[in-house]
Amino acid sequence: MDLFLQQVCNGLIIGSTYAVVALGFALAFSVLRVVHFAHPDIFMVGMFAGLVAANEVPWLALPIALLAGAVGAGLIGYAAERTIIGPLRGRDILTTLIGTLGLSIVLQNGMALIVGPDPVPFPALLPRKFIDIGPVMLTLRQLADFVLSLFLLALVSAFVRLTRTGRAARAIADRPDVAAAFGVDVPRVCQTTIVFASAVAGVAAVSVGTLYGSASAFVGLTYGLKAFTCMLVAGNRYVEGVVAVAFVLGIVEALVTGYVSSSMKDAAAFVVLIGVLYVRPSGMFGSYAT
Amino acid sequence: MWSFGFFEPVVIFTLLNVTMALGLYITAMSGQLSMATAAIAGVGGYLSGVLTVKFGVPFIPAVIAATAAGGLVGGMLAVLTAKMRDFILKLTTLAFGEALSVLAFNWDYIGGANSFTGLKLETGLGTCVVALAFALYVAWRFDGSRLGIAARAVRDDPLAAAAMGISVAALRIITFALGGAIVGMAGAVQAHYVLVISPSDLGFFVSLNYIIFLLFGGMQTMWGPILGAVLLTVLPEALRFAREYRLIIYGVIIIAVVLWRPDGLVRRIPTGVSKRFMGVTFGRGLSARTQAMQAKVEPAR
Repeated sequence: MDLFLQQVCNGLIIGSTYAVVALGFALAFSVLRVVHFAHPDIFMVGMFAGLVAANEVPWLALPIALLAGAVGAGLIGYAAERTIIGPLRGRDILTTLIGTLGLSIVLQNGMALIVGPDPVPFPALLPRKFIDIGPVMLTLRQLADFVLSLFLLALVSAFVRLTRTGRAARAIADRPDVAAAFGVDVPRVCQTTIVFASAVAGVAAVSVGTLYGSASAFVGLTYGLKAFTCMLVAGNRYVEGVVAVAFVLGIVEALVTGYVSSSMKDAAAFVVLIGVLYVRPSGMFGSYAT
Repeated sequence: MWSFGFFEPVVIFTLLNVTMALGLYITAMSGQLSMATAAIAGVGGYLSGVLTVKFGVPFIPAVIAATAAGGLVGGMLAVLTAKMRDFILKLTTLAFGEALSVLAFNWDYIGGANSFTGLKLETGLGTCVVALAFALYVAWRFDGSRLGIAARAVRDDPLAAAAMGISVAALRIITFALGGAIVGMAGAVQAHYVLVISPSDLGFFVSLNYIIFLLFGGMQTMWGPILGAVLLTVLPEALRFAREYRLIIYGVIIIAVVLWRPDGLVRRIPTGVSKRFMGVTFGRGLSARTQAMQAKVEPAR
């Protein structure tokens, strides 16, 4: 029972990161109809921005690193939107996929050129401390990562539901032509959405870097395909649906790792994906029409 | 056979990649890009490898078996995705490929995570040329056949094609099976050159390479995939002098092509539109009769 609860907690923590990255995919895909394959690499850039900031500014390192992560990832997201995603909006979905994939190659190998292809240590922004919660034991870093992810998820949810730009983004996702006819500044809303999603991913990346104590130019690959799967299984209509699926995927993975074998965990995700898409082609909670 | 010495591997991989790209081109002719190309190639590779290594089957029958298996898997994929819409279909093929990769990873009989090894070198330049010639012939004949024309009709407008009496589902199964067969064959040939097949070779990122060939070269005619595969196989090798910048340049070139030439390098100029470039006319103009008819209709508009 203790192993079970422990693995559920571990699953929730990994799932929260999947959720944050998956939301970036979902926003880009629903609002711009772009499969934003560079998103996990923007996440990676945020991680390194936080790393540099934490090394340069030792006092108040944590908040400054988080801020740097948001700014760094946001800037790259802005540049990506201006140069590649924006001009390709409305093109065939595979064209945009290849375009963002090209960007992903450039970002990964560009960063590998700067920091080297091997993982580098991430500065310890939080003390190594264990906390007992009933039968499970968590580290302070795990707990902080989880809480921060929940905060980010709430932030995205609030952005989509409560702000003017978020409402406009949902309108564009539903019917871009009608939204434009009603006076929504489509290009600007798209830009804001991408920059916002990038900044959120950047913050999450710094938190993940702190959690594992290492950063690598290829960290995006770990999260990219899984987060993408979450978005597809859930469908991109509801932010909360994507989050729920990400948590479930994290827990299932952790349980499979704990009870079966770690090599089977990837199989679980894709078997679920094919099953769900066969029964419900637009995802469990529905998608915007593409 | 001729020898290219140092460049021989590059030539062989170029030939193999062009064959794969042609297989994917046939699959894509009915309008649906399969994202499981590498997985089907892997099925062909694993099957032919198991046949030659564990059962002592000669090379040629093993390749034929791999071709059949590729066709079967391709057809199955089309049946599985028959009801699905455009984008979801592509992603299901993606997940299908990943699932096969994971299956190979956990199946100890075919080597599991340690990859399948022990294959003997059977493939040379000649084998690749023959395989490519076969693929070229099939693609060329299919392009001009009734089925090929029907496939393009389905690609351009499935609804209108169905209204003309074309069975969209049947056509998709045919294109997926035929393309899958060629990819399976190429996979078997490739396996007997690389001599090792690992589960990651079946994964999404390898499949994506083949899709990039098509999108880069353009997928409206069979020359697009050929040009794309040749350029993008040779390019990374040609960029070796750039050392660690090589992949970055590769990425930038892909972005540039997608931005400036979204339909790919080779485009089909539709009938009725002719373009003059450096004094040469490209594309068929309208026939004199059509032009005369249009001239009659024009004032009425």
